[in-house]
Amino acid sequence: MNWRRLRTLMLREARATFRSPFTVAVLISVPLAALLIFGFVLSTEVKDLALGVLDADHSSASRRLLSELVAQNTFVASRYDTREDLEHALVAGDISVALVIPPDFSRRSVNTDTGSPPQLQVLYDGGEAPLAGNAEGFLQALLTANVGELFPLPASASAAPRIDVVTRALFNPKLDGKPYMISGTFGFVLSFLTVLLTAVSIVNERITGTFEQLQVTPATGLEILLGKILPLGAIFTLDVVLMVLVAGFLLEVWPAGSAFFFVAVSSFYVLVSLALGVIISATSATAAEAVQKSVMFSVPLVQLSGFLFPIRNMPTLVQWIAEIFPATHYIRVSHAIYMRGDGPIALAPELGLLLLFGVMLMFFALSKIEARG
Amino acid sequence: MTRGSSLVARLSSLVSRRAVSHKPRATNNERRATSFWSNVAAIAYKEASVIRHDKPLLITVFAQPIMMLMLFGLALSNKPANVPWLLLDQSQTAASRRLAAEIENTGYFLRPRAVGSYDAGVDQMKSGKAMAMVVIPSEFRRALERGQPQIQLLLDGADPLSAARVGSYIGRVARGFRLEALPSNMPDAPILQNAAFDLRQRFWFNPTLADRNFFLAAIAGMLLTNLCLSATSLGLVAERESGTYEQMLSLPTTPLQLLLGKLIPYVGVSYAVMLLATAAAAIFFGVWPKGSWLTLIIVTLPFVLASLSIGVLVSTLAQTSAQAVFVTVFFILPSFVLSGSMLPYQFMPHGIREIGAAFPLRWYQIATRGIIERGAGLADVAIPFLTLTALFVTILTLARLRMKPRLD
Repeated sequence: MNWRRLRTLMLREARATFRSPFTVAVLISVPLAALLIFGFVLSTEVKDLALGVLDADHSSASRRLLSELVAQNTFVASRYDTREDLEHALVAGDISVALVIPPDFSRRSVNTDTGSPPQLQVLYDGGEAPLAGNAEGFLQALLTANVGELFPLPASASAAPRIDVVTRALFNPKLDGKPYMISGTFGFVLSFLTVLLTAVSIVNERITGTFEQLQVTPATGLEILLGKILPLGAIFTLDVVLMVLVAGFLLEVWPAGSAFFFVAVSSFYVLVSLALGVIISATSATAAEAVQKSVMFSVPLVQLSGFLFPIRNMPTLVQWIAEIFPATHYIRVSHAIYMRGDGPIALAPELGLLLLFGVMLMFFALSKIEARG
Repeated sequence: MTRGSSLVARLSSLVSRRAVSHKPRATNNERRATSFWSNVAAIAYKEASVIRHDKPLLITVFAQPIMMLMLFGLALSNKPANVPWLLLDQSQTAASRRLAAEIENTGYFLRPRAVGSYDAGVDQMKSGKAMAMVVIPSEFRRALERGQPQIQLLLDGADPLSAARVGSYIGRVARGFRLEALPSNMPDAPILQNAAFDLRQRFWFNPTLADRNFFLAAIAGMLLTNLCLSATSLGLVAERESGTYEQMLSLPTTPLQLLLGKLIPYVGVSYAVMLLATAAAAIFFGVWPKGSWLTLIIVTLPFVLASLSIGVLVSTLAQTSAQAVFVTVFFILPSFVLSGSMLPYQFMPHGIREIGAAFPLRWYQIATRGIIERGAGLADVAIPFLTLTALFVTILTLARLRMKPRLD
């Protein structure tokens, strides 16, 4: 390895990257756009959910119940006159929840000693499964906490015990979705952008012939590889710093752990990911092929790495497959640093795996470059 | 490149077809009409033969549906499963053990790990080894008899969506808990026995709230977005780079004919992919459309056209294939999320929700979920249908304005 040659190669790569205004624009805008979009996408709160109401009772009691339900902006109620209209609205997707208040609602709620409390019927649109699950929790909580106080408890029910659950969420008391998504976005942006950028740049070099020219120079395969990924790695490290700052100042999400440690881990992960990009481009003949491969690789990346869907929920076999992606481990590490403030010792096993992946991918990338020479 | 080598053959076949289609003499108006569509047909024929030889594209067309079906049908779910949890049972009574068993029996949880002290439990939560900790106080049994029992629940807020779900599952068990065990879980039984009223609820269309149905109803939309966008944007830019686009401009076709001719074959491929994916979801995962296939086919047309025109628009904006790739990929991925195909868009705050409405996939997934899951008819999906049509016309107009004959 010749340091002077390596320095020349690195300078060349950095210049080539910064010369293209489009690449610079992508490097700045994609991470920021991803942060802003994904940071806000996930929320555990249900807001303005369309609630269809069939009020057959038309009493002050039923109106009070409704005003309690819409008071917190969780539900936006619209009225329907017949059961048929209500059910049709559910099929058409106009409403996500349907509430039926039977005609004897107020009579029963006043007449508490009859033993049978007033009945309410709720239909959820199970088609939007994740939404229905949350809406159910919200409706039940609203009914027990707020609405329940409006109506006297029937004699039979008050005798039964009711377990009071005192809940506290660690690390994130308000169960805010932002920190979770932002720390995952690092994994998504770094994995994807690095692979795509190297893949396209190497394939373009091969098409214009400059890559072959490099290979006939005295530069060794290792020097070519490092000359490619070290400058790009430095550029992406700047990207990481930019993202941390934007997430912190604009979205007010700072890592709970050491920001310096986070940037250090991220810059190593960038090298791993760049090596993967080298492999993809080395095995593709055209830019279009490299792109298809990157996209095919990115689909499971988004879906299996734990960025959007917890790995725990997957079947065991798929969980094993997910463990093969370096991104899975990086996203786990970045969640841990951002949310729980874990340090290097607690994360040693994950970091060790990342290192192992890195070394393996570098060797593989190196063999691909040399085989082409 | 293969595109270049077969070019002469393709163009000559194109010219000969045009010559044949011009033979019948007709009135001026009629001839203009026939020649318009025969030009379109000629371009479409040329494009179709390009697709037929595009191996990477064909592999994508067939491999992607299979991969997405496997992922969404088998692997992914928002519903918590295998949740590791800790139990600090200071009460150690039959009642507390039954409560723990009832939580475990919901099916979302693993077996609880017992911890000796509160601090030991918090330590385990901090290292991410458990999602939740249930603390049953020592006076639980007595409080249960007096009617004011209390338990404590600690959640790992690092994963807020799962934490919220886990919290609501445990809350449901706690609300339904009785001193004496009920014989069995009756379907449609009142679930808030202790509240002021008796609430009966049911989940329509998807009684078990399986995420699989939710995903599979939108899978065709995701596949088509991917296919339509990358095929057109990359294809057009590649033609411009290899110079064949300029050669086509020298043909006596108008830009509109060129555009339509290039899009029509992809409409065919798109329908094949849509039907394949929907049928596979039905056959392998039992998610049969509750509505009619015809409605599905009708709604797909404006969506495919809108997606294709986005690809055309991207190709007019991008100078090189690399640029087209970036723009396409970074359009496709956010559109999966923002459209509400992967997560319900109702979860998103206002602002983000409105951005998502600009993606054709938003309206298509609303329509397909309606048709496949809820059995909606054509009248029920009129709004998505009309919005998609409007999006198509707008995007096509934009693309047409940008698509000036350019010979640099």
